[in-house]
Amino acid sequence: MKPVLLIAINFVREQRWPIFVLLLWVLLLAVLGLAANIPRDREDLLFVFKQVSIYVVAFSIFFGGSAIYSERKSRRILAVLSKGVSRQQYLSGLVLGVTIACGIYCFALGLTGSWTLGEAGFPMLQVWFLMACLVAACMLAGTVALMFSTFLNPFFAAGATALVLGLPALAGQTVAPRWADAIPVYSLVAIVLRSSYRFPGRAVWFPILLALVEMLIFWALSAQIFWRVDIAVAVE
Amino acid sequence: MVAALEFVAVSKIYRGFGARQLQALNDFSLRVEPGEIFGFLGPNGAGKSTAIHLAMGFMRPTSGYGRMLGTPFGNARTRRRVGFLAENVALYHRRAERLVRFYGALSGMGGPSLSKRSREVLELVGLESQSNRNVGKFSRGMLQRTGCAQALVNDPELLILDEPTSALDPLARVAVRELLLHSRAQGKTIFLSSHLLSEVELICDRVAVINRGQVVRLGRTADLLHCADRIKISARHISAQSFEESSEENGVVTFSVPAGSERATLERVWNLGGEIVSVNPLRRSLEDIFVEATSAPVSMDQGMVQ
Repeated sequence: MKPVLLIAINFVREQRWPIFVLLLWVLLLAVLGLAANIPRDREDLLFVFKQVSIYVVAFSIFFGGSAIYSERKSRRILAVLSKGVSRQQYLSGLVLGVTIACGIYCFALGLTGSWTLGEAGFPMLQVWFLMACLVAACMLAGTVALMFSTFLNPFFAAGATALVLGLPALAGQTVAPRWADAIPVYSLVAIVLRSSYRFPGRAVWFPILLALVEMLIFWALSAQIFWRVDIAVAVE
Repeated sequence: MVAALEFVAVSKIYRGFGARQLQALNDFSLRVEPGEIFGFLGPNGAGKSTAIHLAMGFMRPTSGYGRMLGTPFGNARTRRRVGFLAENVALYHRRAERLVRFYGALSGMGGPSLSKRSREVLELVGLESQSNRNVGKFSRGMLQRTGCAQALVNDPELLILDEPTSALDPLARVAVRELLLHSRAQGKTIFLSSHLLSEVELICDRVAVINRGQVVRLGRTADLLHCADRIKISARHISAQSFEESSEENGVVTFSVPAGSERATLERVWNLGGEIVSVNPLRRSLEDIFVEATSAPVSMDQGMVQ
C-alpha cells in the first residue's frame, strides 16, 4: 500500500500546476459569490457551479490519458519501476493520484458551492452528494483514460476515452435511457446538470457504486494490458 | 550457486509498423556470478540496454528466459534487492535528499534509517552539500550522481549500472570507481555497461562484449588482456629499423616477438650493441579486444529484418 500512496502523492505533486489552474475556477465561483446579489443572481450562480463542475471530468481524462505517456517519454518511469513496485501498484498509484487530484478540486468546489448555493437555498447535503457523483465520474473516466494511455499517446487516449464514455450516453439518448448507465460517467454528470433549486435531486447511490465497480474492472483490464507493454520504449 | 543475473537463450524483437522488425537480442545467454564486477560492452545498438531492460522487467523477451537473484525477470520483490541506474537518468524535480528518500521508500525502506541512509549515499556520491537543492537545477554530472545515490539507497545486493560515469568529470569517475570496488568488497554484484573501456579494464573481474544481440567475447578481464603467444621487448641504443613493427619513443624501441623466440631476439639486441629495458608478455588493451570483436562491418540498419 505504501508504494501506491507514494506514487499517488508524487502524481499529485507533478500535476500541481494543472490542479492550481483548475482551482482558479473554484476561486471564480467564490468571487462571484462574494460579488453577486445571491437571492437575485442565484440561477446564474448555479449555472456557473454546474459549468465549473464539468471541467473536472474533462481534466480527469487529461490526467489519466497523459499519466503513463509523459512518464515513459521522460523515462522517469524507469527509476520508479526499478524499485520494489509492481506494475499493478504503479497503476493503482496513478488511479489514486487522479482521484486525489479531482478530490481536491471537488472538495474545494463543494465548500464554495455549499456556501454560495447554500445561501441561495440549495440543500447543502445535496451539494456534497453532487460532489460524490463528480468524484466517482472522475475516477471512472480517469481509469478508462489511464487504460488507453498504457498503449496510446494522450491525444488518441483522450479520443478513445471520449468514445467509450460517449457511446453509452448516445445509446441512452437514442435507444433506451438505461443504456446510459452502461458506463455511468454521463449519468453521474447528468445528475449534476439536472439539479435545480426546485428539484435539487435526491441522493441515488446506484450510479456511484456502479462507477466504482466499473473502475475496478477497467483497472484490472489496464493492469493486464500494462503488464504486456514494453515500458522502456516510448509511445509515439 | 544462484547466479546474480542469468539470461538463457533470450531473443528480443521490436516490432514496428508493417513488417518492419528489429532484432535487438538473438539467442543471448549470459551468467553473472555473485560478488563480481561484470563489464558489459558493445557498440551502439548492440543490445546492451535491451538486455538490461529485460533484466529489470521493463520489457519481456520474445523468447528465452532469465533470472535475477534466483527469480524470473520482472519480480517486484526481487527488485527491492537491486539498484538500477539508467542511461540518461531522468528523475523528478525535487530536493536531492527528498528524492533519494522517495526512491528508498519505494524500495520498502522507511523511518529514521531511510533518512540516515539517504544522507549517507548523497555523501558517497559527493552531493552532501547539494542535498537541499532541487535536482531540476543540477548539471548532467550531478544528476548522474543523484542517479547513483538512488540506485544505492536500498543497499542493493545487485547493482545494474548503464553508463554510470558518462557525464562525470575525472574526479567523480574515480570516486564512482572506488565506490564500486568498495561495493564488491562487501560482496555485492555489479553489472556495469559502459563505453569507457579503460574504466572497465581497471575494475571488472569479467567482461562480455556483445554485438548484434549476441555475446562475441566473454571471459576474465585478465585472461582477455593477456596475450600468451607474444612477448613485448623494449630496448635502448638500437635502431627501430632493426626489428619489424617496432616503435620508438624517447630512445626506447619497443616491438613484439612470438613466444619462444625471445632468447634469440635478446641475443640479437645485445649483438647490435643494444641494452634491454624490459621483457614482458604482450598485454592487449580492452580497446583492441573490443575492436577485434566488433569489427565486422555494421550497416546503419543493423539488425533490421523484414
